[in-house]
Amino acid sequence: MDVFTELKKIIEELMDIKDRNITPETLLIQDLGAESIDLLELAVTINSRFKIAVRDDEIFLTRFRLYSAEAKQQGEDTMHYIAGKYPFLAKDRIAEIMAHVKEGPQLKIKDLISYVTYRSQWV
Amino acid sequence: MKRRVVITAMNILSSLGHDHGEIVRSFKERKVNFERPAFDDEVVTSSVREFSIRDYTGPFKEGRYLNRGSQFAVASAIAAIKNSGCKKDDLVEAGLFVGAGPNLNIGGEFPDVRGGEIDREDLQALWILRFLPNTAASVIAKLSGIHGENLTVCTACSASLQAIGEAFRKIKTGYLDRALAGGGDSRLSPGGILAYKKASALYKGDSEPDKASRPFDCSRKGFVPGEGGAFFLLEEFEKAKKRGAQIYGEICGYGSSMDASTMTAPESTGKWRRLAVLSALQEAEMSPSQIDVISTHGTGTLLNDEGEANLIDNIYIGCQPQVIALKSWIGHAASACGAMELAISLICMQENYVPEIRNLRDPCSEKIDFVRNGGTSAFETCVVENFGFGGQNSALVVRQQ
Repeated sequence: MDVFTELKKIIEELMDIKDRNITPETLLIQDLGAESIDLLELAVTINSRFKIAVRDDEIFLTRFRLYSAEAKQQGEDTMHYIAGKYPFLAKDRIAEIMAHVKEGPQLKIKDLISYVTYRSQWV
Repeated sequence: MKRRVVITAMNILSSLGHDHGEIVRSFKERKVNFERPAFDDEVVTSSVREFSIRDYTGPFKEGRYLNRGSQFAVASAIAAIKNSGCKKDDLVEAGLFVGAGPNLNIGGEFPDVRGGEIDREDLQALWILRFLPNTAASVIAKLSGIHGENLTVCTACSASLQAIGEAFRKIKTGYLDRALAGGGDSRLSPGGILAYKKASALYKGDSEPDKASRPFDCSRKGFVPGEGGAFFLLEEFEKAKKRGAQIYGEICGYGSSMDASTMTAPESTGKWRRLAVLSALQEAEMSPSQIDVISTHGTGTLLNDEGEANLIDNIYIGCQPQVIALKSWIGHAASACGAMELAISLICMQENYVPEIRNLRDPCSEKIDFVRNGGTSAFETCVVENFGFGGQNSALVVRQQ
């Protein structure tokens, strides 16, 4: 199964959208207007379709900014700290998010792909 | 000056059709949709064909939380707004009054819960919304931008008529100038059928499906469940006139009461049903002799029709209003029946058409003018009656403008 294709199908069904040119780079919240209730549905759907345990605060990077602040407070390297919290994210992706985090929620479809792929290896 | 309340837009989704023209054609061509559901060949139902909510709303993600009854409510509400010519800004202060019932689709929808866990892959995080009665109202508000006083009424088969009655009162007493009111329901799922079958309220038998619903006939055997929805825009008369709105009729009076008796059967003397009808007439400042047509609750159950025939006989002494029973055409749409029957009555009023009570061969009362042959007949006033499980009684008086 191609994770992206399946995720795209799930998101299109859930948000009742078609022809929106969804790519791995699409931002869930800023581009597609997903609200917390939609993320809640997305989590349970990903859980059942991919048969993986889903933790909402992990998959949706809910605490990204909080972890950033924590790292600074504790005098730790932010990149290293966040990589420890979100082991499914590549370092360059963490850097990308850090660069844009002030522009609003940075959650992209490709982050979901990373999460699903990572979790699938560990079930 | 007394405030008056008029209906300036409406929409109905029914097994007879989805617009004025289709419904009138169905009456004239005697076209109905009664059939045996695939899952139970003992009963008969009347379903709405070719319905897709997105034809009315366009794509929207909240659609995932609407059970079939709520889909009818939302679709007819959105269509009524469209017909009204009102823009989103016109509705900010409007009210919203929705009659709703429970989602009884237990087999198809209710998950298998074992030890607090649910073994079902397609279970939504917020499946609760498919069961909460106010989900339809919440979605209608979101789509239309209505923010005003509101109420979801859950008084069984009396619910949507009461929702309209409550909206009428809010406008009449000056709390609102404009309100959307109506309802939608469907209990044709195996769970819904099971519920009414267990209660011995349904028609069961082997007659031809379109002969099953026979209100006020001596051989009636129970009701035939239907489905659908209807919504109305109610407005204060002067304001409606000022904006040049089309006026479909005036709501003149409303009454409701409770039997405070048995949980399902009507109270035996009919005293409290009578109170609801008389209160509506009193508010309308009309005497029984001024009523041209009665749209009865007329379910086709032994007890309802017997009680309702006595009620009519008892109130309309010396006058002969024409008595119709629309459930012989569309089945019993549960909480939506009041709104749907009001919509059809108003369509008939505009068309000067009075439909016969289908399958009425041997009337349970000789004293009442049951309409036996449908046809052209002008009428200006109508009482709509609905009664529900729990001893819920309601009546609404409407007049042509």
